[in-house]
Amino acid sequence: MHRFVWILLAVFTWSCQEEVTLPLGTKSELVPTIEGFWTDQGIYNEVKFTLSKDYYDSTEVVVVTDAEVFITSPGTDKVIPFVYLSGTKSYKPQNPLDKAVIGERYQLNIRWGENVYVSDGLMLEPPIVDSVTWRFEEERLFRDEGYYIKVYGRIPFEEDNNYRIRVIENDTLKNQREDYLLFDDTFGLTFFEEGLELGYTFEEKDRVRLELFRLNRDAFDYLNQLVNLLFSDGGLFSPPPQNPDTNIRVVSGNPEVLGYFAVTPVLSRSLVIQAKYD
Amino acid sequence: MSLFRVLTLFFITGLSVQAFSQDPKIISGEVMDVSNSEPLIGANVYWEGKSESGVVTDLNGKFELELVDLPNRLIISYVGFERSIRVINPKDAERPIRFFLKPEEMSLDEIIIQERKPDEQLKNLEMGKSTVPIETIKNIPALFGEVDLFRSLQLLPGVQTAGEGTTGLFVRGGSADQNLVQLDGAPVYNASHFFGIFSVFNPDGLKSVDLYKGNMPASFGGRAASLIDVSLREGNNQQIRGEGGIGSISSRLTIDGPLFGKNSTFILSGRRTYADIFLGLSSDEAIRNNKLNFHDLSGKVSFILGDRDKISISSYEGSDFLGLDEAFGLGWTNWVTAVNWNRVSSEKYYFDLQGYHSRYNYSVEFDDPETGFEWSNKLSESGLKAVWTFLPDDQTQLNWGIHSQYYNFAPIDLDPSPGSAIESIVTNPKNGLLNNIFVSGNYEFSPKLSAEAGLRWGLFNQVGKGVDYLYEDGLPGPEVEIIDSLNYGTLENMQFYQGLEPRIAFRYRVNDLFSIKTAYNRNFQYIQIASNSSAGLPIDRWILSGRYIAPVKSDQISLGLFHNFDQNRWELSIEGYYKDLDNVIDLRNGAQVLFTDQVETELLAGRGWAYGTEFLLRKNIGKTTGWLAYTWSRAWREIEGVSKNEPYNPRFDRPHDVTLVLNHEFSSSWSAGLTFVHTTGQAVSYPVGSYLVDNQSVPLYSEFRNLDRFPDYHRMDASVTWKNADKGRKWRGSWNFSIYNLYGRKNPFAYEFRQIYNDDITFDAGSDGEIFSSRPGVVMTYLFTFLPSITYNFQF
Repeated sequence: MHRFVWILLAVFTWSCQEEVTLPLGTKSELVPTIEGFWTDQGIYNEVKFTLSKDYYDSTEVVVVTDAEVFITSPGTDKVIPFVYLSGTKSYKPQNPLDKAVIGERYQLNIRWGENVYVSDGLMLEPPIVDSVTWRFEEERLFRDEGYYIKVYGRIPFEEDNNYRIRVIENDTLKNQREDYLLFDDTFGLTFFEEGLELGYTFEEKDRVRLELFRLNRDAFDYLNQLVNLLFSDGGLFSPPPQNPDTNIRVVSGNPEVLGYFAVTPVLSRSLVIQAKYD
Repeated sequence: MSLFRVLTLFFITGLSVQAFSQDPKIISGEVMDVSNSEPLIGANVYWEGKSESGVVTDLNGKFELELVDLPNRLIISYVGFERSIRVINPKDAERPIRFFLKPEEMSLDEIIIQERKPDEQLKNLEMGKSTVPIETIKNIPALFGEVDLFRSLQLLPGVQTAGEGTTGLFVRGGSADQNLVQLDGAPVYNASHFFGIFSVFNPDGLKSVDLYKGNMPASFGGRAASLIDVSLREGNNQQIRGEGGIGSISSRLTIDGPLFGKNSTFILSGRRTYADIFLGLSSDEAIRNNKLNFHDLSGKVSFILGDRDKISISSYEGSDFLGLDEAFGLGWTNWVTAVNWNRVSSEKYYFDLQGYHSRYNYSVEFDDPETGFEWSNKLSESGLKAVWTFLPDDQTQLNWGIHSQYYNFAPIDLDPSPGSAIESIVTNPKNGLLNNIFVSGNYEFSPKLSAEAGLRWGLFNQVGKGVDYLYEDGLPGPEVEIIDSLNYGTLENMQFYQGLEPRIAFRYRVNDLFSIKTAYNRNFQYIQIASNSSAGLPIDRWILSGRYIAPVKSDQISLGLFHNFDQNRWELSIEGYYKDLDNVIDLRNGAQVLFTDQVETELLAGRGWAYGTEFLLRKNIGKTTGWLAYTWSRAWREIEGVSKNEPYNPRFDRPHDVTLVLNHEFSSSWSAGLTFVHTTGQAVSYPVGSYLVDNQSVPLYSEFRNLDRFPDYHRMDASVTWKNADKGRKWRGSWNFSIYNLYGRKNPFAYEFRQIYNDDITFDAGSDGEIFSSRPGVVMTYLFTFLPSITYNFQF
C-alpha cells in the first residue's frame, strides 16, 4: 500500500530526492551470513558462508572458507559432507550425486571455530508444471508493453503452499526488489491453473530460464521479510526496518547469525521468446 | 422562460427603475447591520473631509446627501460598528446604495482570541487541556493554503507529529489510534484526507475544538491518549450568511441561517479539492488518466423547543478517491451523524441526551481480467449517552450518566471480478458492546481550593456473531496449530473485560495570579489499530479487545503551575506528567494483518511509558497574539519480541520541541502570521552494516530498534492577509498569501538505504540499461521546500 502513497506524494507534493552521507554505526563483530540450498537437483546444492561488512564498504564481502559444513537426516545416520570450492566461493556436497529426497527431513550443520549453527527443513513434493507460454501484451496498468510469460500448472496440496519463482533472463538472475515472485495460497491457487503471468516484460529472442521452488514456511517468510526490507523506504508508511527472521539457530558461539536455509524441490523450464507465438 | 414570467420580470424591472430613479444632485441609500440586515438609525453619512455637512440615517436607516464632485469617498460611521469608506463614482450615484456595517465585537473576535474568561486557566480545574479558537487556526500559515485543524494542534505543547506533511497526532507518548476524535460527540475513525496530508474538518463549519491530553472528564473515555472534541457551529437565526474560500487545491463554502423562523437554524459546509484538474493538464497520458480528490460535507440543524429544550442534528460525510488509469481505485468514506437533546430542567438540573452513529468504510477495486478484485471493509460505532448535571449550590457541580457503545467491525470482504483467477476472502466479523457508567463532582472548598473527583466504570463485552480460535498450548502464534474454533451467535458473549477509571484533580489558587493544579487519570481503550507504521493508512485494520487481546490501560499523573500577568494579557503554564501504558500492541516481523482471520497470531503486546514537561507562554489579547511552547518529553515502549525485549523509543519520541506562533494585526486591512517549529529528529533505525544474501547487498540493522535520529526538524511558515477596506458591502473578501517552509529547509521525510548504480540515484537497474558501477548509498526524500500558496476568502 505504501507504494500507492508514494505515487500520491510524487504526483502531488513536489517531493525531491538527493544522495546524502549519514554517520552510521558499525558492528563490533562482523556477523556470519549463511545461505544454504538443499534440493533434489545437485547443481543447486550449496552453502554460502560470508561475513557482514560496514554499510559504506563497497568491497567484496569476506567469504568464510574454513568452516565444517555437513547435512544430516535426523533419525538416520546419513551424513553428507560439504567441501569449500574456491571457484564458486561456496561449499558444495563432497559427492555431487547427493541430493534431497522427497519426504525426508534434513538438518544443516555448520561449525566455524567456537560457533555452531544448525537449521532444518522438510523436502516437499513439487507441484506440477504443465506448460509455459508467452505472448505479446499491450501496455496495461502496472504493466509495460512487451512479451509476458505464463506458467500453467497444478498444485494439489492442502498445506505448505509457499512458492518462489526465480527468473534468469539471458544468464542474468532477476533479483531487483520488484523482481521477487513469491506466492502462497492466501488468494487461492486457481490462478496457477489458469496461468500465472510473470510480471516482467521480455523481448524477442530473450533466453529465459524459470525455476520454481516449494519452500518450507520459515524460508518463505524469510524471503518475504527480505523483500519487505528491500522495499522499506524508511518513511512513515513503512514498518520499522528489521532483519528478516533467520531459520538458522545458534547452538554455541556468537549469538548473531544472518541468512536462511531452504530445503526445496526445483522445477525448471527454459525457453526462447519468439514472435511466432503472438 | 414562459411569456408570463418574461412579462412579470419586465414589469417588476420597469417599476424598480421608476422607483429608484433619483435626483442626480442627491445620493441616497440605506445603512444596515450586516449581522441581521436590520436598518441602523442615526448612522453618520458624510463625504471625506466634510463631516460638517453630513446627514444621519432616518428611522428606516435611509439617507439622502448632496452630491459633490465625483469620484469621492463616502464615509459611514455608527457607534459600536466599524466605519465604512467607499469610493463613489458618478455611475454609483445613479442608484441608491446599500451599506452593511459590521459590529465592532465581530472584529474583536480576531483580536481577543480567547473564547473564555481572561483568568480561566487560574480558576478552572482543567489540566492538559488546550482550546484553540477557530479564528486562531485560520490565521496560522497553512500548507497549500489549506487551514488545517490537526496541523494547528501539532503546534501545541505535548503534541507530536508523525512527520513532514502529515496530520497524525501523538499526544504525550500515545500512539495515533489512542486519540478519540469526535465531532459533536460522535467518533471519527479516519480523520484525514489524502493519506494524512489534511484533516477532515473544514474550519469554516466549526465552532470550537478542545484537546484533552489525557485528563479528560469522567463523561468521556475510551481512548488512552487524548480527546479531540470538535463542535460544528450552529447557524445564526437572523439571515442567510455565507463564507468560503478559493484556494490553491480546494474551494469551500459554508452557508448558515434561520430554518423555520428564529427558533431553528441550519448550517451547511462543503469543501472539494481539484487536484484532478492539475492531473488533467499533464501532457503525460498516464498521469492525465488518474483521479485524485476528496470532498467533505457537513451540516447541522438546531431547534429551540420552548424555553427549556434544544435539539440539534449534525452530520458529516467525507470521501477520498484515488484512481489510476481507470483500472485501479481506492476510496474511503467517513459518515458521522449525531443527535443531541439539551434540556434545562430547572436552574439546577440539566439533562443532555445524545445518540450517534459513525461509519467508516474503504474500497479497493482492481479491474483486471485475470486478477481483478473488489476489496472492501467497513466499521461502525453506534452510541447513546445520557448526562445529568446538578448544581446544588455555587460551589458544587455533580454529573452522572451512562454511555453505551456498540462496535461493529465488518468482515474483510475480497471478491474476485468475474473471470478472475484469485479466490475470495471473507473473515469473521468482530463486535463489541461497551457500557459505561460515570459520575463526577466538582466542589469548591474555598476560593483557593477546589477539587474534582470522577469515576467511570467500563463494562466491555466482545459479542457475537464471531469466531474464536483455540491454539495449541493456549497461545496464538504464526506457527502454532489451531486445535479448535468456537462459533458465537448474535450478541452472545465471547469475552468480558471491565475496568474502573478514576479521575481526580485539585486546584490551589495561591493568589489572583498564580495557581497550582494536579490530576490523576485512568483510561481503558478497547479498540486498537494493528499497525506498526507511524502514519495511518485508510486500510488500517482496527481490532477489538477479545480472548487474546487485552484492553489498553493508561494511567497519567500530572502537576502544573499556572500564572497570569499584565492584567491577564499573558498566560504562563508549566505542566509535568508521567504516563503508564499497558497492553499496547505491535506487529511481529513480516506480519500480514489485512486478510487474516487470526489476526492475534500477528500481534505482540507489551507496555509503554512517557513523561515530560510542557512550557507554554501565551498572549491572547492585543494586536499581537500567539504563543511560545517548549516541550521536553520522552516516550518508551517495551514489547516482548521487539528490540530484544528491551525498552525502545517509538518513532514519534522527540525529546525537544519548540514552537512559536505569532499573529499580528498591522491595520484593519493587513495582518500577518508566522510559525516556527524546531524539534528533535524522529527516532529511527539506520543500518549498522550490510551483508550479501540472494546475490544482493542487504542493509544490516541492529537488533535494537530506533537507536538513531533523523536530523533536527525545523521550519518557518509565514502568511500575509489583506482584507479589502470595509466599504459597507455585504460581500467581504480577503486574500491570504502563505509560504510553507519559508527558508526552504530540507527536512528529511525518509532515508532509503540502497544500492546506487552508475552514480545516479534515479538509475533503475531493471530497465535503464547497462550497469557500470554499483555502491551502497543513502537517498534522502524531502517534501515541501518553499511552498507558496494563495487563497481568496470571502463572507457575505
